[in-house]
Amino acid sequence: MIPYNKITLDNGLVVVVNRDRASKLAAVNLLYKVGARNEDPSRTGFAHLFEHLMFRGTRRVPNFDLPVQMASGDNNAFTNNDYTDFYITLPKDNLETALWLESDRMEGLDITAEKLETEKRVVIEEFRQRYLNQPYGDQMMLLRDLAFRTHPYRWATIGRTPDHIAGATLSEVEAFYRAHYHPSNAVLSISADLDEERLLELAARWFGPLADRRHEPAAIPQEPVQTEARRLEVERDVPATTVSVAYHMCARTGSEFYTADLISDLLAGGDSGRLYTRLVKERQLLSSVNAYVSGDVDPGLFVFTGQLLPGTTPEAVEAAFRAEIEDLQTAAATPYEIEKVKNKFEANTLFGELNVMNKAMNLGFYEMLGDLELINREIDRYRAVAPDDIRSFCSRTLRPENSSTLIYRARK
Amino acid sequence: MTPPRITPSEIDVQLAEKRMLRNGVALYTLASEEFEVLRISFVFRAGSAVQTVPFSASAAANLLAEGSTRRSAQQIAEELDYYGSWYDVNIDRDYAYINFATLSKFFDQTLEVAEEILLRPAFPEEELRTYAAKRKQRLAIDRTKVDVQAREAFARALFGPKHPYGISSEERLYDSLSRAEVADFYRRYYTAERCFVVCSGRIGEHELQAVGALAESLPHGASETDISFPKPETVHEEFVAHSGAVQSSLRLGRLLFPRQHPDFVGMQVVATALGGYFGSRLMQNLRERNGYTYGVVAAMVNFERAGYFAVATQVGTDVAREALQEIYDEIERLRTEPMPDEELELVKNMMTGEMMRILDGPFGIADVTIENILCGCDNTVIGENIRRIRSMTPADVQALAQRYLAREDLVTVAAGAERPW
Repeated sequence: MIPYNKITLDNGLVVVVNRDRASKLAAVNLLYKVGARNEDPSRTGFAHLFEHLMFRGTRRVPNFDLPVQMASGDNNAFTNNDYTDFYITLPKDNLETALWLESDRMEGLDITAEKLETEKRVVIEEFRQRYLNQPYGDQMMLLRDLAFRTHPYRWATIGRTPDHIAGATLSEVEAFYRAHYHPSNAVLSISADLDEERLLELAARWFGPLADRRHEPAAIPQEPVQTEARRLEVERDVPATTVSVAYHMCARTGSEFYTADLISDLLAGGDSGRLYTRLVKERQLLSSVNAYVSGDVDPGLFVFTGQLLPGTTPEAVEAAFRAEIEDLQTAAATPYEIEKVKNKFEANTLFGELNVMNKAMNLGFYEMLGDLELINREIDRYRAVAPDDIRSFCSRTLRPENSSTLIYRARK
Repeated sequence: MTPPRITPSEIDVQLAEKRMLRNGVALYTLASEEFEVLRISFVFRAGSAVQTVPFSASAAANLLAEGSTRRSAQQIAEELDYYGSWYDVNIDRDYAYINFATLSKFFDQTLEVAEEILLRPAFPEEELRTYAAKRKQRLAIDRTKVDVQAREAFARALFGPKHPYGISSEERLYDSLSRAEVADFYRRYYTAERCFVVCSGRIGEHELQAVGALAESLPHGASETDISFPKPETVHEEFVAHSGAVQSSLRLGRLLFPRQHPDFVGMQVVATALGGYFGSRLMQNLRERNGYTYGVVAAMVNFERAGYFAVATQVGTDVAREALQEIYDEIERLRTEPMPDEELELVKNMMTGEMMRILDGPFGIADVTIENILCGCDNTVIGENIRRIRSMTPADVQALAQRYLAREDLVTVAAGAERPW
């Protein structure tokens, strides 16, 4: 249970604060509601490139990292398909350093052509290191591209190709900043051992003076319903073949999300999950296996993926995945299995509340979803899932016409 | 308008309470009532350096939970998962760390499973074969990555290819690893003499008694004569050819000393300034100024009986030569120019903050406590180290760099499409 207090400043910035009584640190999280799904299809990877540029200095603070580090702080950021998140932890006495810096770069970013060129090179190296020079590095990219035809989830956060990053211009950078980086498109969350009132007051002092630049975001093209099974086979220099099957499912806030997440847990939650027990240990078809939900803001994916042991054919794995889905429809989850998922969720929640950074980040995430109360109530949603929900989800969602299968074959 | 900045000069950390059990196992406790969770860590001197059969140390550690004399692997996994308990195993060259974390309300149930895992592992043949096949495949995949190739080559170059800290074994040896070899490793090294326990989180008398009873059941071992530690045989250059790689992985550094050495903390300051944080000299140079890399790090690495200084990065193939030269130049600059006061102040503040972040939360405190115990210290050493860091002067930094980072002493390793020298 995370107690919190929330206000919305006049400029539209939402501020959520939590008092942590154990930590000597303060965690400041600033989430902007912009991600790869807001990108132009000819400029993919831009939101992530822009995240990098946010560290390139402002008119008043030419070097962002220096004052953070001087204040014994640590900061970083990440971008995903839905949002961009910046976070700082530092000794709680230095909290205002973080608020000063984050408020400053919300309106005073100073990007020159030269800074942009250097950052493009860094991001292209990141692209190479994490996706091109990495076995299986393009696997998720291929699967996304197969499953999505219209929605921008069809590309990964890093982008479709390094060329899109190389082509980014200074005027695009400025337009992106104006469109997405302003108080009413952001959520500030703080966790520290200070009174909540005091935290809200400090947030208002540093962020209150910022003017909003309200901007109507462009509508995101939604994915039409898939009507027939899709399939792609590629061959790569990797030691083992993998099979991935993705099904379209509801959004993170959809009512069926909890059913889907619970199913993914039944299948792949820990070493006692059905897939690991049956396909890795008993039948020895796979060396590893997973099932997970993407948990995106727009309707996302339910994914099965397995890495084949020598001697296993992709067809055998596809059949095994289908058999597991059928099994879920005929032999539904027992109260014991549901209780297990509930326990696991409770444990993960409590383990996640042990440090201030996780708490601040979670507060930002749930507020971004539009339902902050969910942070303390989500467990009830899992508890409410009934065996019939599982059967019904499997028959409506995990069906062949809704699937995209990627065979990622090891070159002989 | 900038806010006031306060540099924490002291870090006080809870001291672990120590109890000696009848069989000689030390039980350390870091109790904090405000949490509803706890963690129990069993640390054994059972790392890969003591193994005589390749992969037997990691197999023993990783198969502890894969079936006991009374429960199948599936039952053990099921019980742990049912209670939402976290079980994890880490193994390095010197030690194996077996951790159980659980909701306080499921402590008893979790400890019951822990007992099966620690005292009665059966190492079933079929579990070993599944494990060996999986690991073999994973290692083969890892070894297609330039950073893994460079990491292994670097250990070989520093210590020699047969040294316990330098050796890397062929993945096919997983096929011949036998059940008897794994069970034998367990019997010899998972003993009371080689173990201590650290509990953190909500630990009351009931929990302490129960953990103590479990640890007291660890058997005594035959007095093991540890394998001989040959003198390292360092070679100064090694290149691993990897045709078609779009990036080259670079590692350089040299053998120095373990954490107990009086210059270890000073060399941590030197390494941090060079490549231990985002604003470090190498990050500024290679990433921010030149765009050669996504990241570069420098650090002091500690083993039980050795320690080394290392720089690691991955760079575009076409700029590997330039990047390597920049790294040599930055190291040389530490030796020839005194560090500006402001930069040194920054490094000190960074290191202080980093220690505070590691110590945030009960499990973080437990991790640091374990590290301190392994060096023969208690948690007062954290404050001492912070004071030592804060007392470093630019002249101290330069003197250490001059003494320990001469160009001719550096070992350079690369993996990639072309030899960058």
